[in-house]
Amino acid sequence: MCPQVLFSNRKPGRIATMEEYRQSGGYKALSLVVGKWTGKDVCAEVQKANLRGRGGAGFPTGLKWLGVPQEGAYPRYIAANCDEMEPGTFKDRILVHADPHMILEGMVLSAYATGAEKGFIFVRPSYESGARILEREIQRARDAGYLGRNILGTDFSFHIVVHRSGGRYICGEATALLNALQGNRPNPIRPPPYPTVKGLWGRPTVVNNIETMANVPHILRNGAEWYQGLSRSSGSPGTKLFCVSGRVNRPGCFELPMGTTLREIIEEHAGGLPPGCQFKACLPGGASTRFLTSEHLDVAMDFESLAAIGHRMGTAAIIVFDHKTCLVEVTLNLTRFFARESCGWCTPCREGLPYLGDLLRRIEAGEGEEEFIPMIRTMCGHLWNAYCALAPGAASPVESLLTNFEDEVREHIRQRKCPCKA
Amino acid sequence: MAYADLLPGEMRRKLAQKIAESETAREQAIDVMTILQGHFGYMSDEAMLAASELLAMTPLELEELATFYNFIYRQPVGEHVIHVCDSAICWMHGHESLLDHLLSRLEIRLGETTEDGLFTVLPVCCLGYCDHAPAMLVDRRIHGELTREKIDRILTKLIEESHSLPGRK
Amino acid sequence: MPRIIIDGLEIEVPQGTKVIDAAERLGIMIPRFCYLKSLGAVGACRMCAVTFLQGPFKGVQMSCMIDVQDGMSVSTTHEEAVAFRKQVIEWLMLNHPHDCPVCDEGGQCLLQDETVSGGHGIRRYRGKKRTYRNQYLGVFIAHEMNRCIHCYRCSRFYQEYCGYRDLGVLQMADRVYFGRFEDGQLESPFSGNLVDLCPTGVYTDIPARHKVRSWDLNRSPSLCIHCSLGCNTVANARHRTVWRVEGRFNEALGSEFICDRGRFGFGHTNHPIRPRRAKEGSSFVSLKDAMKSAAEKLRHIHATFGAQAIACLGSARNSLETQTTLRSFCEGLRLPEPHFFVNPHVKKKVCGAVARLDERVAVSLNQVAHADFVLAVGTDPLNEAPMLALAMRQAQRQGASLVVLDPRPSFLPAPHVHMGVAPEALNGVLGGLVRKAMEPGERENTALRSRGFLQSLPGEPFFRAFSDEQEKVDAVLSGLKKSRNPVLVCGTEVVRESTPSLCADLALLLKEVKGRCGLFYVLPGANAFGSALLSGSGESTFLDVIQSMERGFTKALVLVESDPFVHFPHQERLREAMKKLELLVVLDHLPSLPVQTSQVFLPTSTLFEVDSTFISQEGRVQWSRAVHEGGIPMEQWTGGTHPPRVHSTVIPGRDFRACGEILKEMARIVGGKGKVFLPDPWSFLERGPSAPEAPSRGNRPADGKRLIPRESSPELFPLQEGHFTLREETEHAFELLVVEAVFGTEELSAHSPAMEKWEWEPHMWMHEQDAFELGFSQDEVIGMDLDGGTLEVKLKVCPAMARGVLVLPRHHRLQWQKFSDFSMRVPHDCMRKS
Ligand SMILES: Cc1cc2nc3c(=O)[nH]c(=O)nc-3n(C[C@H](O)[C@H](O)[C@H](O)COP(=O)(O)O)c2cc1C
Ligand code: SF4
Ligand code: FES
Repeated sequence: MCPQVLFSNRKPGRIATMEEYRQSGGYKALSLVVGKWTGKDVCAEVQKANLRGRGGAGFPTGLKWLGVPQEGAYPRYIAANCDEMEPGTFKDRILVHADPHMILEGMVLSAYATGAEKGFIFVRPSYESGARILEREIQRARDAGYLGRNILGTDFSFHIVVHRSGGRYICGEATALLNALQGNRPNPIRPPPYPTVKGLWGRPTVVNNIETMANVPHILRNGAEWYQGLSRSSGSPGTKLFCVSGRVNRPGCFELPMGTTLREIIEEHAGGLPPGCQFKACLPGGASTRFLTSEHLDVAMDFESLAAIGHRMGTAAIIVFDHKTCLVEVTLNLTRFFARESCGWCTPCREGLPYLGDLLRRIEAGEGEEEFIPMIRTMCGHLWNAYCALAPGAASPVESLLTNFEDEVREHIRQRKCPCKA
Repeated sequence: MAYADLLPGEMRRKLAQKIAESETAREQAIDVMTILQGHFGYMSDEAMLAASELLAMTPLELEELATFYNFIYRQPVGEHVIHVCDSAICWMHGHESLLDHLLSRLEIRLGETTEDGLFTVLPVCCLGYCDHAPAMLVDRRIHGELTREKIDRILTKLIEESHSLPGRK
Repeated sequence: MPRIIIDGLEIEVPQGTKVIDAAERLGIMIPRFCYLKSLGAVGACRMCAVTFLQGPFKGVQMSCMIDVQDGMSVSTTHEEAVAFRKQVIEWLMLNHPHDCPVCDEGGQCLLQDETVSGGHGIRRYRGKKRTYRNQYLGVFIAHEMNRCIHCYRCSRFYQEYCGYRDLGVLQMADRVYFGRFEDGQLESPFSGNLVDLCPTGVYTDIPARHKVRSWDLNRSPSLCIHCSLGCNTVANARHRTVWRVEGRFNEALGSEFICDRGRFGFGHTNHPIRPRRAKEGSSFVSLKDAMKSAAEKLRHIHATFGAQAIACLGSARNSLETQTTLRSFCEGLRLPEPHFFVNPHVKKKVCGAVARLDERVAVSLNQVAHADFVLAVGTDPLNEAPMLALAMRQAQRQGASLVVLDPRPSFLPAPHVHMGVAPEALNGVLGGLVRKAMEPGERENTALRSRGFLQSLPGEPFFRAFSDEQEKVDAVLSGLKKSRNPVLVCGTEVVRESTPSLCADLALLLKEVKGRCGLFYVLPGANAFGSALLSGSGESTFLDVIQSMERGFTKALVLVESDPFVHFPHQERLREAMKKLELLVVLDHLPSLPVQTSQVFLPTSTLFEVDSTFISQEGRVQWSRAVHEGGIPMEQWTGGTHPPRVHSTVIPGRDFRACGEILKEMARIVGGKGKVFLPDPWSFLERGPSAPEAPSRGNRPADGKRLIPRESSPELFPLQEGHFTLREETEHAFELLVVEAVFGTEELSAHSPAMEKWEWEPHMWMHEQDAFELGFSQDEVIGMDLDGGTLEVKLKVCPAMARGVLVLPRHHRLQWQKFSDFSMRVPHDCMRKS
């Protein structure tokens, strides 16, 4: 069993109580830091630990926090991102159901680091039970003095509110999330200015994924070096929550050291593929990453190693496809998902994705033409010039379908039907 | 406040308080609409007008939000709204045939409401239950590892419950 | 200032210039849809992509989103950018219905242009096109959503730029929809700009819809003459019909937008009831004969009763050519000076304002939009000069605070402080605010000359009415204190005669203290400024003329595009007085009341039929070009069939001439050949040094020149007794304020069929408390027994307006002219519910 940090209190079928969290060292970081360290110290420690965002982009968290202006511009806000709508990703749900106080403590610490006085947890509609848990535990933390006015008797105050989304994938994008929180249409806003300078109601705002937040208490309590030691890779410290789904025997969410190989995750932790199924490809980091083939199964799952072979960590949601699954159809499904969830702001995404979907649908239905292949390729290239990262994300699986499985696509066109279907 | 007067006093008070506690009224738009659609069954025009009064937004401003989101219903829906996940993982796990089964059981097409007004079936993207695929959400409660039998059980239970309610046959 | 190289050409631009604008300065038009300078950049359409070769950005980037920085080199023709733009236009065309043949945008459609320039010609997409349902958006603009390419210009203009909240963005993904919550008239009086803004044909102009193709239209640079701001427009005509008016960019006005009154108010020129044929008594004659007959009749009166028996009345809707020629006409024939104002108080105020506007303080509309504090006194911007309201909103969006001191309810579409001050208290409240805002420190700094003036301003008593609105007063004071670039806006309609001049004094004072302060007057009518310049120095007013008519001294009245019934408060009295005339000559193009009773009627051209000049309220001369010859619109002449089946060698209904030309011709006849010498009309305009001389036409002042002196009066701060008095509160009467509304009151646009469809019921406003005390409530019809009969009008109550006043928009369908004189008081006891 690998060391469990975020999941140290995870038990089947139940949620860690505040007491359990405390007994495992919870809220110690808070008493260690609040009133004793400066906010800048906290940022520095987090930066030293080289914690990188777990929401998809992998941005260094300490650096993000340091982007909050030193002077002026109060109030400031924290937005914890628990929107999680990328297909294949469910780690935030498990984390909320495992140990909600870890998230709360992480938020309080990030607020302390950046001088924020109010935080929001942005929760998607299908996580209604998570939202209730969070609300309940917020009340408990407040009663215990970990939240609210004068935390631990100091003059530091911080409040957390659970904000329920109306449900749309784009709301997870940091700037769209801020718009959604304010009751505006959730269109992204391209920085600069960054949310850390001009976020909610024009005030500095830190947006982090809740898994990112949950790492913070451990880093502060045990130090940056300890944190680095958790990892099997040199560049990406800490552990990571990996979601495995698709064609595996034991789909689920596993906390493993950064740098664990993909093969180990799939074969050992997720129990390998069911009998009679052979590995064909997987998406290593959620629906907006590229198909990864068996040739790379031994890649270490960390930011650098994946980047080295042209892949992305994304949300670390591994979706496994077996040899019987038609990847054209998978890609079509993903493309339809992105097209449907586009906010409709910019042309490439709003018009380009349905167009791509139409071409893929024709290929899958046996109406494809050879010329579709170069069309799809160029169109994917152009999607990278969209306004936000949704469309480039949507292009990723499609591009890699053509890179890795061009023959399969051509077969569809040649046979005028899907070769995977009987 | 002509339309907000349609609401029960208690609900109105609670909503007003909720709105008063937030940074700006519009921040509460989704919550207010969710609560009102619980009360009205869906966000009817009256419900929209009531919400716009409470939130001091124009009906258009509210409509800009209502029509963006998946979980705000501007059309009548059944008593139970079933959102069936159609994203990649559930799809791999037989989403299509399960959906067919569900729809033929209810004798409707996707997006429609049963004649008795009990069920509406809508598609939805990944629900975040890929470890329990295939999944669907019934009245915001998740059901995973779906099979035909499981779907039948869920439906039967809901139908029985509704029949045991006073005022229903 | 940073320099950039675009396609090998180098250019230096001001800091903060976008690459797309820098390119435009070089004459390189980078394709764009969402970007519009006035709205700012949002990067939604992705059409303006260019390739950045050197500098901090690399590769394909949106040129609208990036400010020019030193060291940048950009290519608009680089293959990557070209390929991407081609892809974008293909995307945008996927769902566009190819309905160009029946689309009114066709021929002036940005989407057509960019499709061609982007090189997208062959359709590859075979999917189904999306379709939408359209909405009814009211009487001005039609909705055709299938054409939409989602540039977001409309919603951003409507909500962000204008501040209205009933049109926006619905749905998401590829179903994004621009529309309203439900069908209905758009609430914004600026909605017509959507037609110009929309890069394709989603919003089209209803009066012109399906009537004419854009390439067939005659187009000319024109002006809006429906208020005093003088927004620039483009007039469009064909088949003897003016079809459409569009906005035109002007630096001084700062935008290319116009209000709906300006856009849809042109219908009078095409109107079937426009009087087009000269008349003598009740019979139609040729213009030539009518001129001759009018001249002979005038000569007869001249000879019999002397020149003093002839009076001339022009108006603020006259072009400058008409006004100067009228002045020259009177001078040449030795007639009394012409009048241009019916209301003597208004005359005083406008002349006072014009006399005080000088280069030290005068600001343009664009400068109002860049002020950091705008204090509007005695004006209702939205209703009197709609684009002023938008300029104030733009100032506010950049952080300015806005204050309106005005008795009326305030409809400014921007957050502002409104103090409902009655006209008689305006001077006091204004003076008091300025006095209080000048902190001791600042007061010390004030030069000696103005210190006495500052100290003579009133103090507390005028704030008494605002004792329970202390927060408001404090907000105004702190705004004024902090401001470094304030602008005073002053109306001339409901204020007292001394207010315009007080505002000029205060502007000078503030300028002395702050180094900078603007003064911006709102005048009643497109050429009210010219009216004031040409009114001459005489003390006599049109009221004197009426008295003289009543006494039988004035025998002849010449109405020069002017209808006294619109402004004279006692219709019956005017009618009786006119009956005593021996001769009424009317020159006009509006079907006014006097046209019917005139002995001689001489039809004149409208703005669209003759080159004309107008002076806007900031003293700026602006030229307008004729767009067509005029004549009875083909549609009316042929009964709507096309091509015409009736032919003639002369243009039907074209027997009219410019007012000035008619006057000249009549002078020639009256004086007899060679006997009359008419002074050069333009000689009446000589006024102090002004803007740098630009080429003028003949002696006509140059387009854009400001006719204001460097310094208006040598004497500063001529504060007089009686400027600050308060009315006794015991008086049981309302002061009636007859005011302007965006729609339905202005003379020309009231004759526009499009505008007539914008129905609203005549009504009158009263403070909620006043109404309560009299037992009246909202929407009741109130009857008032007045000297001239009973006036019945629907009541609207408002908690945020001055007490003791009745605000009555002079709706053209309401015969409000039943008062005894110009200072109208309505005793409480003559009012009742009816
Ligand atoms: C289309 C899109 C959807 C996203 N959805 C999520 C999400 O559901 N949850 C999340 O944490 N981050 C999401 N992100 C990433 C966020 O933009 C942002 O990078 C992240 O929340 C920052 O937190 P982190 O630094 O802790 O990763 C999304 C990004 C994009 C472009
Ligand atoms: S890529 Fe464009 S349309 Fe798509 S979600 Fe981002 S901003 Fe919206
Ligand atoms: S004009 Fe630059 S993105 Fe639209």
